[in-house]
Amino acid sequence: MFRQLRTALRTGIVTEPVVPAGELERIGERLASEVARHFGRSLAIRQVDAGSCNGCELEITGLTGPHYDLERFGVHFVASPRHADCLLVTGPVTRNMAEALRRTWHATPDPKFVVAVGDCGRDGGVFRGSYAIVGGVADVVPVDAVIPGCPPSPAALLAGLLEAIGRLAR
Amino acid sequence: MTRLAYGSVILFGIAAAGLGGYGVAGGAGTLRLTWLVPLGGIELTLDPLGGLFLALIGLAVVPASVYALGYPDGDTGRFAYFVFVASMCVVPLAANTMTFLIAWELMSLASYFLVLRDRESRESIRAAWVYAVMTHAGLACLLAGMLLLGADVGSPRFADWRAAASALAPTTRDAAFVLLALGFAGKAGVIPLHVWLPLAHPAAPSHVSALMSGVMIKLGIYGLLRVSLDWLGVGPPWWGAALLIAGAASSVIGVLYALVEHDLKRLLAFHSIENIGIILLGIGSAALYRVAGLDALALLGLIAALYHTVNHAAFKALLFLGAGAVVHATGTRNMEAMGGLIKRMPWTAACFLIGSAAIAALPPLNGFVSEWLTFLALFQNMRLESVGQNLVFTLGIASLALTGGLAMACFVKAFGITFLALPRSDAAAGAHEASPPMRLAMLALAAACVALGLGPTLVVPVFGAVAAAVLRTAPQATGGDWLTLRVSGEFASLSTAAIAVVLAASFLVPLAALRLVGASRRTRGYETWGCGRIVQTARMEYTATAFANPFKRVFDFFYRPTKRLDIEFHPESRFFVERIEYENPTRSIFDDWLYRPALDLLHAGARAVGALQSGSANQYLAYILVALLLMLVLA
Repeated sequence: MFRQLRTALRTGIVTEPVVPAGELERIGERLASEVARHFGRSLAIRQVDAGSCNGCELEITGLTGPHYDLERFGVHFVASPRHADCLLVTGPVTRNMAEALRRTWHATPDPKFVVAVGDCGRDGGVFRGSYAIVGGVADVVPVDAVIPGCPPSPAALLAGLLEAIGRLAR
Repeated sequence: MTRLAYGSVILFGIAAAGLGGYGVAGGAGTLRLTWLVPLGGIELTLDPLGGLFLALIGLAVVPASVYALGYPDGDTGRFAYFVFVASMCVVPLAANTMTFLIAWELMSLASYFLVLRDRESRESIRAAWVYAVMTHAGLACLLAGMLLLGADVGSPRFADWRAAASALAPTTRDAAFVLLALGFAGKAGVIPLHVWLPLAHPAAPSHVSALMSGVMIKLGIYGLLRVSLDWLGVGPPWWGAALLIAGAASSVIGVLYALVEHDLKRLLAFHSIENIGIILLGIGSAALYRVAGLDALALLGLIAALYHTVNHAAFKALLFLGAGAVVHATGTRNMEAMGGLIKRMPWTAACFLIGSAAIAALPPLNGFVSEWLTFLALFQNMRLESVGQNLVFTLGIASLALTGGLAMACFVKAFGITFLALPRSDAAAGAHEASPPMRLAMLALAAACVALGLGPTLVVPVFGAVAAAVLRTAPQATGGDWLTLRVSGEFASLSTAAIAVVLAASFLVPLAALRLVGASRRTRGYETWGCGRIVQTARMEYTATAFANPFKRVFDFFYRPTKRLDIEFHPESRFFVERIEYENPTRSIFDDWLYRPALDLLHAGARAVGALQSGSANQYLAYILVALLLMLVLA
């Protein structure tokens, strides 16, 4: 305990001031209003890695950092599919993860929607045809929206989420 | 025979409770048998404080004995049990040194035999040995303190001490206070005199543990009350400050040890230390306020202490009885081998849950009310002027807050690991519900926890009357109307009944509203979420060790954990592991830094003195000659 306190005191504040991003803010504001309209002000996302190279994860993690700060738009990542409205699935679905992904989908309460992230999630990407994978996310669970890219940037992820919600509302 | 024995103890308990109730209500009486023993004879007096403790003992003995009727090992140690109960009942009535010490020692000896129930196991023998040593060290302190007072006042009667207290020399009073407080604190299990408690409670059968933890250590509290507030009159402020600091240390350290303990009964034993600490916070604040002349606040502190004493007896007895049922059903005290018992023992689980919520001070149960009162008593330290005393109070407030949080975490662990999820062993999978008498006893105690929580406006005036009799002030209206408890005028108020209604409504109103608006009642059954695994076994469950590990890390300066990792590799390749053994034990700073050095010193001293005893008769004659010469010279 004392060691932790000492480290915290010695290190001080290491983050840099946030530079406002115009385009991002606009997408974010629209996302926030959509989330407020359709999900009672908060959208809970469970991220599932079905066999990704972690490139997409890196970008998704970027969303939660101080620059993008997804939570201010009412969107947050949760630790269990039991708490989630949305599954954000990355990677080609490997044979080992297919059943786990199916179970995750079953464990998510209705109503729910699934967003496949990255080129691999769309159709297997560069791994298409490999013996080790089952295919894209859509081959295992019903997919409502796809965010392409290898990997998609955090801004593209935000725009994709916005589009997915908009499509669901219609 | 067993039925007859426990049946008579039950009747005895009811009679004791009745007599105690009469004492609390203001009834008084004295019984004197001077011919029976020398040095003052047997003398018993009933007064409100003694009556309260007598009633408490009587009321705790009844469910414990009912439980023993259904307890499979209940037929051993019946005689010791009876002596134990009877001597406990005499302690709060004793009116002179002789009577008190006889009853005290009988109580200790009887409980020693009950702890030593299993005469084959080394663990049990060691537990009983440590208990005997600690309790007799305490007795030595008591004896010294009482003889000192008796010699100074010139009477072994407690009533005479009370009358003569203000005329005593300050040094005599202080010395008597230190000796008596040490003796009683040892019995109460105050840190650092607590070492016998976590050994003795698990070794005793569960109905005895329930009485030892619920009632016997409360007699230590009874003694501390007498010493700090009654026999020695109004003492200097450091008495109260010492009690407050001891209470703060006991509460935090007790719960810290409980957190990393995975033996269910040892865990409960450590929680007894914690709760004794909370009671001491109340007593210490009462003593300090009384010195400062704030009688109303002293009354409040004492009410909080007495309330918590009764509450702790109710929920700790309940938890020990529940733990006994679990230990009997699974054959182990190790929580890591339990799990899934809520399906197999629903009654025990429900009662244990009520006890857990009560000890974790969750409203609207009884633990909450008394800890709330203790907080209020501590918070009003702003009416004191001394900076030092205020700092001591702040320490008490901080430690009580920390204790509350940690106790909550500990009982999430105790209940969750023991009763929820899948059974972790075959023994837990084959567990069975407790027998009807055991269930009846637990249900009665659970009902007592709920009643003491919902009816503070009914019981607080009773404690108020007892406290006023101890402090010899006018009983103030700490009551309030029949639903809301008001403390110190407009300082604070509480209505547990309203909290209970709101809690129930927050659960029932949404259900009713959903039904009213015609919500779909379709349900979907699906397996427990296990991170998508195909096979889920009990080995994948959260363990008690894992639960406690964050606390172990945060408080590593206190626990000083050591790590031992043994990996046995395959003889041909390091990439194949045959067996892994991992141990992460904590070390007790009290054993390492207090008891071991003290014992080493004692051994070294004994060896040095042992040199005198050579076995040579000539040398012994020389000693006698030297002694004789010295006597002649000095005389």
